[in-house]
Amino acid sequence: MPLLIAAMGLLDTELGKRRLLSIELPAIEVYNEGRDPEYRISVVRCAGSLVLSYRLKPCHNVYQLETRLLSSYPIVPPETRILTPLKHCPHLLEGQTLCLWRQGSTRAANRWDASQFTCVFAVLAAWRWLACYELWHETGEWPLPEAK
Amino acid sequence: MDFRPLAEAERRQLLTALRGNAERGVALLLNRRDTSFAGTSEELPEEQVITAIKSVPCHY
Repeated sequence: MPLLIAAMGLLDTELGKRRLLSIELPAIEVYNEGRDPEYRISVVRCAGSLVLSYRLKPCHNVYQLETRLLSSYPIVPPETRILTPLKHCPHLLEGQTLCLWRQGSTRAANRWDASQFTCVFAVLAAWRWLACYELWHETGEWPLPEAK
Repeated sequence: MDFRPLAEAERRQLLTALRGNAERGVALLLNRRDTSFAGTSEELPEEQVITAIKSVPCHY
């Protein structure tokens, strides 16, 4: 229902709160089930945003990350940045923000679909990005081609 | 951070998995406890949908 989603503010509208309580938070609970405490997602409110803090360990290295859900989420995709210092590499923006969804481009080119994805999807996308980074770190070549 | 590199066999396995994921939708499985790479699967059980990577439409 794109019209309803377009009117949503995650923390300050009834629709946004409903999405948060019925979709986003349950998805995080499922993600956290059976997970070691240091790898669980924790959520804090920061001004008009929600910030997910978590660790990922795709291979041998552990990375600290945060994914920010702005008040305009889920229309605007979540922003994920890595707090652990990285080497400069492809698909990494200022502030170590991951280039995942082509933010700011046209809707057709934007690969974030608010009607299908939850914030946990962004966490999994970050995991895959980090797996690519681990390979790039050693070979100097990003292992996946840019999607068309 | 002290970067710990992959062994050659690990590197090859991860590369194959990532390409299988991007090209054929092979699911990347994550260790339930610590999110480490736990292999791949052609089929993805419903209960693993939120803890495995089936098809992430990122642009890279």
